[in-house]
This record gives sequence, C-alpha cells and structure tokens, in this order.
Amino acid sequence: MKTSKSKEKSRIKERNKKADDKQKNILEMLKSHGAKIYDDLDNGQFPKFSIPSRSVGNIVYDKKLRQYILGNNAALRSSRNSSQLRSFTQLMWLAFFANRLTHEKKSSTLRDVYYSSQAFAVEFEDQSESDNIIVDLEAVTSKPREDFHIFPEERSSIFGDLNIEYTIPGYEGKTMNLSNHPDGYSIGPSLTTAELVDTSAEIVIAIEKGGLFTRFVEEQVDKKFKSIIINTGGQAPRSTRTLLKRLHDEMKLPVIVLTDGDVYGEHIAMVIKSGSANAAHLRELTVPDAKWVGVWATDIEKYKLPTIPMTESDIKRCYDLQKDPRYQDGVWKKELDVFLRLKRKAELEAFSKYGLTNITDKYLPQKLELAKSL
Amino acid sequence: MSSIKEKFNQISPSEFFYSNRDLAGFSNPTRSLYTAVREFVENALDACDQKGILPDVHLTIKAVDPEKPDPKPYILTVKDNGPGIDAEHIPLAFGTVLYGSKFGLKQARGMFGLGATMAILYGQITTNKPVVVKSSVDAKTQDTFELLLDIQKNKPVIVKHTSKEISKKGLSVSICLEGDYSKAGNKIRDYVYETSLITPYASITFDDPKGQKFSHPRFVKEIPPPPTIIKPHPHGIDVERIRRMIVESQFEIPTIDDAMMEKVRKDLGLSVKKLSYTSIMEKAKKKWKNLPRQVRVVISLMSFLKMDFEKLNKIRIEDIDMPNKKLFYWDFGDSQSKSIDMDPSSQYYKQLTNTVQGEPLTTFLTKRFQRIGPTTAVKFAKFAGFKPEKRMGTLTNQELVNLSDSLQKFDDFMAPDSSCLAPLGEEPLEKGIKKFFNPDFTAVIQRPASAYSGFPFIIEMGIAYGGDIKSGGPHVYRYANRIPLLYDEGSDVVIKVSRDTDWARYKIKGEPPFIIVSHICSTRIPYKTAGKENVADRPEIERELRLGLQFLSRKLAAYMSKRGQADMAKKRANLYAKYIPLIAEFCTELAGKKKEPNYKKILQENSVEDVKVTKEENKIENK
Repeated sequence: MKTSKSKEKSRIKERNKKADDKQKNILEMLKSHGAKIYDDLDNGQFPKFSIPSRSVGNIVYDKKLRQYILGNNAALRSSRNSSQLRSFTQLMWLAFFANRLTHEKKSSTLRDVYYSSQAFAVEFEDQSESDNIIVDLEAVTSKPREDFHIFPEERSSIFGDLNIEYTIPGYEGKTMNLSNHPDGYSIGPSLTTAELVDTSAEIVIAIEKGGLFTRFVEEQVDKKFKSIIINTGGQAPRSTRTLLKRLHDEMKLPVIVLTDGDVYGEHIAMVIKSGSANAAHLRELTVPDAKWVGVWATDIEKYKLPTIPMTESDIKRCYDLQKDPRYQDGVWKKELDVFLRLKRKAELEAFSKYGLTNITDKYLPQKLELAKSL
Repeated sequence: MSSIKEKFNQISPSEFFYSNRDLAGFSNPTRSLYTAVREFVENALDACDQKGILPDVHLTIKAVDPEKPDPKPYILTVKDNGPGIDAEHIPLAFGTVLYGSKFGLKQARGMFGLGATMAILYGQITTNKPVVVKSSVDAKTQDTFELLLDIQKNKPVIVKHTSKEISKKGLSVSICLEGDYSKAGNKIRDYVYETSLITPYASITFDDPKGQKFSHPRFVKEIPPPPTIIKPHPHGIDVERIRRMIVESQFEIPTIDDAMMEKVRKDLGLSVKKLSYTSIMEKAKKKWKNLPRQVRVVISLMSFLKMDFEKLNKIRIEDIDMPNKKLFYWDFGDSQSKSIDMDPSSQYYKQLTNTVQGEPLTTFLTKRFQRIGPTTAVKFAKFAGFKPEKRMGTLTNQELVNLSDSLQKFDDFMAPDSSCLAPLGEEPLEKGIKKFFNPDFTAVIQRPASAYSGFPFIIEMGIAYGGDIKSGGPHVYRYANRIPLLYDEGSDVVIKVSRDTDWARYKIKGEPPFIIVSHICSTRIPYKTAGKENVADRPEIERELRLGLQFLSRKLAAYMSKRGQADMAKKRANLYAKYIPLIAEFCTELAGKKKEPNYKKILQENSVEDVKVTKEENKIENK
C-alpha cells in the first residue's frame, strides 16, 4: 500500500517534471529568440530573422511522414523593411505575450490575443490579422500555439472510460474519469494538457456530429464496444487532433473515424489522419494510423441509404481532392470516384430510416469488424 | 381653283436663326441663360482686347420676380470699359443679324458678333422686352437705345433713344430673357471662374440673382500682345473665297468727272489750273510710285488719248477693248463715237490690263496670300497647269475650281503664319494656375505654332498637382481661344488625349489631386458641333496636345518621384520611431534583461537620410 502510494507520488512527480521540462523548453526557445533581437538592437542593427515560407509553392507532401510539410523556402523578415516593420513588431509582441502566458500558466484564446494587443499599443486590423501572426509564431518556432497556451474557441467533446490527471494551475494532481458525465467533456486547454492515466477502452471512435455522439452515449457504445467516443464537431479542432494523437500514441488505442457520407466527411477523416495544408508548418497533429470507416460512398448503395444530390461545390471539391497526392490509392481514391459517379450524398442520420438504433446495432459492429482488416 | 404656282418667300437671317436657335445654344431656358452670358462676356472681352484696354467686366443677373419658380424672366446685364460703339451703328449692330465688326483673319473669341444677336433675339422671343444698349465712345456722352428686332425684315426698331453726359467709356448691354438660374447657376459660376483663369488681365465681377457677389480681380497687369490680321493661307481656302478675292482685286474704270480730275490734280501736286498734256505726263511719271490706283488709271487713259484736262472734260470713255487694243470714247463736241489704238508695249497699257483683267496669277498669289513668294508662285502655277501670267479676271468657273483644288493639294507652301494668334503666354498661365489652385507643383508649356488644313494653331498647356486641388483628378480645364468649354466634355480631343495617357507611368496613381489646363488658339477652332463646346480630334491638334501633355507629365513625374522619395523617407523614419521602441520593449522582457537595448542609434541614423529598401521577399535558403 505504502509502496504503491510512493510509487504514485513519484509518478506524479515525474509527470510534473515532464510538463515542466516542456514549459522550460518553450521558455528557453523564446528567450533565445528575444536575446538575438536584443543584441541586434544594442549593436545598432535592424533585427531580422527568417521564417519558413507558407506559400502554396512551399507546401509539399511528405510520404514518409504521411502529411503535408513546408519545403526549404524561407523568407527574411527584417525590421529595416518598412513594409514588414509592423508585422515584425506584432510578432515580437506575440512572442512576448506568449512568454508571459507560459510563465504564468494562463491560457487564452485567439480572440483574447486580438484584444490583449491593444494594451500594448500594438494594433491588429482584425482578428484574422492576429490569427495570422500566431501562425507566424508557430512557423518560426515549429510549435503549435497550444504550447504557448493559446487555444481556439471551438470545442469538441469526449466521453468514455478514461482517467486523466490535470496539470493546469489549481488542479494539479486532480483526477477525473471521463465517463462520469453523459453529455461528455469538452476538449479544452485543461483536458489537452492533462496526463492520460489509464483506460479500459480498446478503441477511439471519432464521430463528426454532436447528435450521433449523444446517440452513441445513450446506446452505451463506450461499454458495448470498449471505446472512447469523441465528437469532432465537423472538422476536428487542433486540440482534438492533439488529443486523438495522444490517445493513439500514449494509450496505444486505434482510432476510427465516422463521418457523413460525402466528400467533406471523407476529408474530415483525412485531416485527422494526415493533417491539413494549413498546418503544414506543424507536426505532431496527425494520427497516420487513423481509419475512416464510413459512411462510404459504396455504403450508400450497399445499405440503400436515403440520399440528397451533391451541390456544385461538392462536385468541385471532389475534383480538387482527386489532385491531392493522398487520394491516389486505396479506399480514399475508390470512394471519391464513387461519390463522383453517384453525384449523391448521405448523412449519418440516414440510417434512422431503419430505426434509431440501427446505426449502433448493425452498422457500427460491421464497420468495427471491417476496420481490423483495413 | 387655287394657284398651282408655288410661292417662294424670302427668308430673312433673323427668321432663319429663329428656326435654328438650337444650333446656336438656345435650346432651353438653362442652356440659353448660360449661352447669353457667354456671348455678352466674350464680346466685352474681345472689344477690350482689340483696343488694348485692360478689361473690367461686370455681369449681373437679376430675377424680374424673385418669388416665381424657375424657369422665369431674368434681366442679364454685361457692362464693360471697352471702346463702346458709335451711336449711329448701335441699331444695326444690335438690331440685325449678321452685323459685326469682327471680320478679317485673326484669333478672336467669337465671329461676327452673331451670338449676341441670337441672345437678344431669344430674349425678345421669350419676354417681348427690348434690349437696352448704353454706349459711350468718348467718355463724354452716353447714348441709350431700347431696340426691338423686326424678325421678318431683319431690321431694328428703335423704341427709345436718349443721351446724357457721362465720364466713362464703355458699353453696357441689358436683355430680359427666360432662364433657369437654379439649374444654370453652377455652370455660369464655373464659366466666370474659369474665364478669369485664362484672362488673368481682366477683372470680372458677377452679381447673381441670389444676391451673391463673385469677384475675380485681375492679377496680371499686361495684356498679351494682340494678334495681327493676316492674309489667308492657301491651304485654308475655297472657291467662293477666291472668287471674292478676285472681285476685290479688280477695279472699275473710274468715271472721269470734275471731282476725279480735282483728285488727280491734287495727287500730282499741280497748282497751275491750265497745264499742257506733256507737262502733266512728266509730272505723273515722277510721282507714279506714290499715286493711287484710280489716278494711275486716269493717267494711263490720258496717255492714249493725248488730252489735257480741258479736252478730257469733253469726252466720255465708252469701252476699253483689251484683246483688240482699242479704246472707245464719245466726243460731246462732235457728238460721235471715236476709237484709238493702244500701244501694247506702253507701261500704261499694262496698267489698264491689270485693271480690266485682274492681276496675273503669280501677283495675285504673292500679294493676297501669306507664305507665297514669287518663286513659289511660279512653281505652283506649273503644278496647277496655269500660265504664271494668267489674268485672274479671265478665269472660267472650271479653272477657278481647279485653282482652288490645286491650292489645297500643293505641298510646298510654308506653314501658316501664326502671328494672327494670341496665346496667353507661359508666364501669365502659370501665374493664373498658381493663384487659382495654390498647387505644390506647376508646369506650363506653349508649343510652337502648327497648322491643320491651312489654319494655324498653338497649344498652351499647364499641369498642377497638390495644394488646394481636390483629389479625383485629373480634372481638365478646357479652353479654346480664351473661352472655357464646359459642356460635352466626353468627346473632346483634350479629354481623349488625357484618357489615353497611362498616368501610372508618370508615377501618378489612384485619384490624384491634379489638374490639366489646355488652351487651343486658332483662327478657326474645329468644333464638333455648332454649340462650340467640344473640339474635334484633328490629327495635327491631337499630336500637339499629346506632345505638350507628355512634356508636362515628364516634369510632373520628376517632381512626384522626388516628392515620393522624401515622403517615403519621412514615412519610414516615422515608422521606425513608432515601432523600434516597441520591439525593444518586448525583446527586453523576452530576453530576460532589465535594461532596454540602445536602439537610439538606429533611429538617429534613419531620421533624415534615405534608406535603401531591402527587397520584400528576400528569399534565402533555410538550413
């Protein structure tokens, strides 16, 4: 008993140390950037740094990493150039602000950042300008903004037998089981930074829609299929993708994705698996082993699902994705081609045609079985 | 039973213009008020220009009944300090169409004073009120006429005529006409304003119907040199004009009566009453060069008749038959017709030939046209297929047409004489632009004279940037013969040239605060329409405008680039001053330092001097 307790304690200690180390790394890196700028100024020189180019021409697909990454092109940002001076200052302020957030272990949102700037005489035209500078900071440091305690607004949720331990100030060491509340737990900063302690689940089911998430909880999909259910709320936010990755990497859980039966659903699954071009400057956000199990285009015919016609933008999207290197083989290519042939799409709710629980009773088990062979 | 014979009525000029008033700019109350203002102001300025008087022009427009809604009758009065018009000419000048003093070939704002009569006519038609003309030519008495036009007969009707003492010269014309000031007001004010820009030596005031006073005092004390009246250029001529010139060059054989003999006596300086034929001829030979044409003809006749004054008194010349070299006369004493042979080798024979058959072609050309010397005249005669000595009086109709055509086609005439033009001059133009717009930059140019279809023209242009000029430019101020052109801007040649200009090439972008002033001076402006508001795009004129504008644009570009550099340096210095301290503040905390870095060095170095801008995307290889 005593040993297990001390074991527990040392584990906590170790965990805290890990978190501390991560924070220390971030702070060190920010400090070194700051020192370089400081020295330039002190020597009477205009500070400058290089930043990986995020232009379309510099985004390439890395087959080994199975995600988009930035190429070797970089741009020089110089405070001497009057057209860059403003964004240079904005980026300096953001680093300064991130430094404070990290030091004080406070979290903030993209919108917070936009408003906070105004206290320092650094103006942003609108939030999209400040969002853009945040991406700059990510690109310079190769760290996601969450590492600097800046979180998006959008929330998705999680439910299932998973024990976590908070690391955020005020909750350090506190634990929680994520199956205690049937509405699920929203995936915010505290959950993203929490330690994943243990779980009885054997699989993670990411589902595109809140309605189906609730159905899955009601139908106890977590218990019946030993799973953790995550509602991505459409395109999965970064914090959710980070959590998915950690569940896969740290808890060794396979991840499957269930989306609407259309081209956008297919791509939601693809982004979880291999990231988006927008985040090509970041790694660590992908679950290369994630599997998309449905709703496939072929399912529409197989299950005789009620459909609605594709819009023009749906069709255009199909053609766009056909050019994407990730859609050149396997189920991705096959389903895309069928979508284009059918020119129709089906939602997850379409299974209600066969009864409300048809999707959990019939469809899901078949797909889980299938996933093993994918 | 009615007559099938058609009845032709002669139409008077007044009637003609009454039915064609749209052409002259009197289409509606708005346009008519504007046109009337224009015609009278321009007449006043022209009258002063011609006499070298610095013009003081007062324009007043008053509503007859201010309470009435527009359109309504207005009283329009234009008063000047010009030479005035003799009382005896006033009824004809203001009471008939096509009476005027502005003949001859030289630059003037208007021609023939036609427009003013049209305005009077319009006033009479719409309000049935007479025109009131007050004139003083001697600064002592002023004659006041109230006149109506008899449209059917094209004759003035004097309603009232009075005179009184006065101490100032000048003319005042007042008409009552239907107008719409609420609509025309803007254009009239613009017209007065823009006129004063191109007439900086004039003082112009305008009292408008709402009691507002607009005053544009003169700011240049010298009148530009007046244009001279010149002979026509052969390229700008037609058959009708040649026919009239031939008539002018021919003289009738004068009647030899007492008065004529007295004149001959006087011109020869003969004091003795009775003088022999031989002594008369001797005297005439000596004075030949100074004798007027009529006297020469009389002397020539006397040389063949061999008669003195006494004998000459007793005969009458009947005919001079040049081909047969015979002179016929009636002898009162013998009561019979007699003839004598003329000696063609005599110099007097030549004199008579000239008179009867007109001048030889070459003389006609050299004497009556500009830019033709004897050599060119002979060359031309060969080109046109005429003998150089061909008498003008013997030309057939077909030959006249051939001559006219050849004059147009012959390329070796020199360019038209431009001394008949009166450009404003670069200095007054620049002064005007500076005064009106208070610009940051001004440039002006007067192009050398050029010609289209035998009509000389000169382009003057100015360009100005910044200062009081509103953005949204270029705004083009168009002038032709010192008249501002305010209507029908779209199709004007100047606008075309300005639109064709790629302003970005001259470092002018967006909606710049910038204006162009363009002045075309010509003996005949090629207006597109009778309204005289837009100039046609003759290639020669377009070319000159283009060259002028290019010259000015280059100067503006040089200024803009200088201004741009200074602006940039200043802007950059401001940006550094704003942002570098912030960067210093942030990196100090980021680097974990207490004291801020010494960034003052950078700011000082970049406070004034120009900084070389580094390329925006200076790509370097990463790693």
